[in-house]
Amino acid sequence: MFEGLVLLGDGLAHFMTPTSLFNVAWATLLGIIIGVLPGLTATMGVALLVTLTYPMPPDQAILCLMCIYVGAIYGGSRTAILLAIPGTPASAATTLDGYPLALAGKGGLAMGLATTSSAIGTMVGIICLAMLAPLLAEAALNFGSYEFFWLALFGVVVSGQLTAFDDPIKGYVAGILGLLVAMVGMEGLHAYRRFTFGVPALGGGIDLIPAMVGAFGLAEILVVMKKRAAARIIDASDRVLPRLSEVWKYRRTTMRSGIIGTLVGIIPGVGEDIGAWGSYAAARRRSPEREMFGKGSMEGLIAAETGNSAAIPGAMIPTLTLALPGSAAAAVLIAAMFIHGIRPGPMLMIENAPFLYQIIAMLVFASLAITCYGLLLTRPLLYMMRVPRERLMPVVYVLCVIGAFAITQRLFDVYVMVVFGVVGFILREMRYPMAPLVMGIILGTLLDVNLRRGLAISNGDLTPFFTRPVSAVICTLVFLTILFSIPVVKRRVTRFFKKTDNTATGGH
Amino acid sequence: MSQTENGRSAGSTAHETPEGPSTPSQEPGLMARADLLSGIVFLVLGVTIAWMSWEMPRLEVRRIHPATVPGLVPGLLGLALAFCGTLLALRSVRASADRAGWRAFGQVFVSPEAGRAGVALVLALIYALGLVGRMPFWAATGLFVFAFIMVFERWLAVPRHPMWRTALVAALQAAIVGAAVSLVFERAFLVRLP
Repeated sequence: MFEGLVLLGDGLAHFMTPTSLFNVAWATLLGIIIGVLPGLTATMGVALLVTLTYPMPPDQAILCLMCIYVGAIYGGSRTAILLAIPGTPASAATTLDGYPLALAGKGGLAMGLATTSSAIGTMVGIICLAMLAPLLAEAALNFGSYEFFWLALFGVVVSGQLTAFDDPIKGYVAGILGLLVAMVGMEGLHAYRRFTFGVPALGGGIDLIPAMVGAFGLAEILVVMKKRAAARIIDASDRVLPRLSEVWKYRRTTMRSGIIGTLVGIIPGVGEDIGAWGSYAAARRRSPEREMFGKGSMEGLIAAETGNSAAIPGAMIPTLTLALPGSAAAAVLIAAMFIHGIRPGPMLMIENAPFLYQIIAMLVFASLAITCYGLLLTRPLLYMMRVPRERLMPVVYVLCVIGAFAITQRLFDVYVMVVFGVVGFILREMRYPMAPLVMGIILGTLLDVNLRRGLAISNGDLTPFFTRPVSAVICTLVFLTILFSIPVVKRRVTRFFKKTDNTATGGH
Repeated sequence: MSQTENGRSAGSTAHETPEGPSTPSQEPGLMARADLLSGIVFLVLGVTIAWMSWEMPRLEVRRIHPATVPGLVPGLLGLALAFCGTLLALRSVRASADRAGWRAFGQVFVSPEAGRAGVALVLALIYALGLVGRMPFWAATGLFVFAFIMVFERWLAVPRHPMWRTALVAALQAAIVGAAVSLVFERAFLVRLP
């Protein structure tokens, strides 16, 4: 236990150098800008900047990416509050109460609350990360092929179900497509090349970063350009320092939202936006002031912002201990870690234990940075919103092309980026979620290799997949998730919960 | 305190499609037709993949365990995809029964939105496939940025921006972006450009 604290201290000290602090400063600022500008999302920002940080030493590179991630999730709240436009999907829940507050003349207060909530949410998530990750890594050391197969399948299935809540089939299809993309190239057990169609470049498979840059970059650009141009008048608002009494008054909501956000982050493939919505819904159900929700409730704002920020450290828990991405941006971080020679997974704690605590230190510094920037920099950031998208999007696209090319130096990857951009755009227009696609691409090899290795070890016998204790648990979770996506089942279950909720809160 | 903005996308409650601004809410009829077509596509794709996996060599010469053939997982995935595609298509058959809806569906592809997206895509493709790699990066980038801004601010914008000012601004931004990106990436971050 104390060893953990010592390592944490080491991690913090590791980043107290001028270079690191400078990186924290510019990376967080860049992240906030990415968050503020609609059309640029956190995942896209992290994916594009993997290239930028490629020549840096591993710890600095991951530091920059984490700061961009945290900054982008926070930055979306600025425009969500002032303009009812979420800068990133994670801030969609923030608009519900942030914008009415701004309209009522309390925009500054709302932004201050958003800042402190984001910082506190990240802190709650960090504490959970520090406590749970070593335990989970310890348990994961006993995981075998069977468990990893079920984990990979669970990651895809749960991501498909929760990100396409109204229409899970589309989520599953996205997941299957992602898994199929991962099947291209040399397979992991016998080195046999699959689905290359005579194209030598496909022999190495399809890299994640060009695919991500395409699906989250080019597709996003096309979605943004599709809409008619919007004219906006930006309003200057009042002071941004919240009063401590407000923060203290809602401490229970904050804690609850922090825990919910962290838990949602832990669920693979489900990230900050669901963290925000889950916390918001829970806060509304338990609040004595629930009529205010949607009309300028500070509690709702706090819940949303705490939830989405706590999801970030939460997403890092499975990412670091199981190499199972907790969110789409975490998937990009996994790819970045592999590029820099860090191998996330159960062996991380053994091979590179300080790294977990360095991640924690990165998150701490990032939270401090967003607090400083949030309290100081509101007005200048809003001027960035004035950049018309016709001028911004081509620059983003140029970065996409560079991002796809720079790591492997092949124009083939630029073509991959373009293909994924087009396909991603079409899928997005048809309401398919992107997160399961990403999960599928990342988890495909894991699923494939472990299924077949497990079968080889058990000599073709399927029973260990269902009888080993951990496997049985995860397998049940998978089946329950799929079961829940059948409309009849879903209706019964939600009706059941509504009934118990009504009886419990009857009399309000 | 005056705040006006038009063109705000309907439904900022984007919790169905993460990592992207919300798609405009489409009538159920349009979506059903799209689902029907895509369902059929997925069915065909799934069956094709399953068949290709079945045809994959079993590698008996290497004496591998028969359960670990390379085609196992792709085959299963292909079947799963075909299954989901069938479900999607079946679900949408009833909703897309009337003939008039198909015309509306076709209209989607010639709407101004589709036009804007299409133009953006064509420009992007010309840049990525035609320009990059064939000329110095700063030149390709400059050309692309100039063309993009010109097209969208002059030609497709409503109302149209004045010609000379647009051209000047576009050229200026193109030059700045081309130079800045090349310099920043090649000198400061040491990233080789195409």
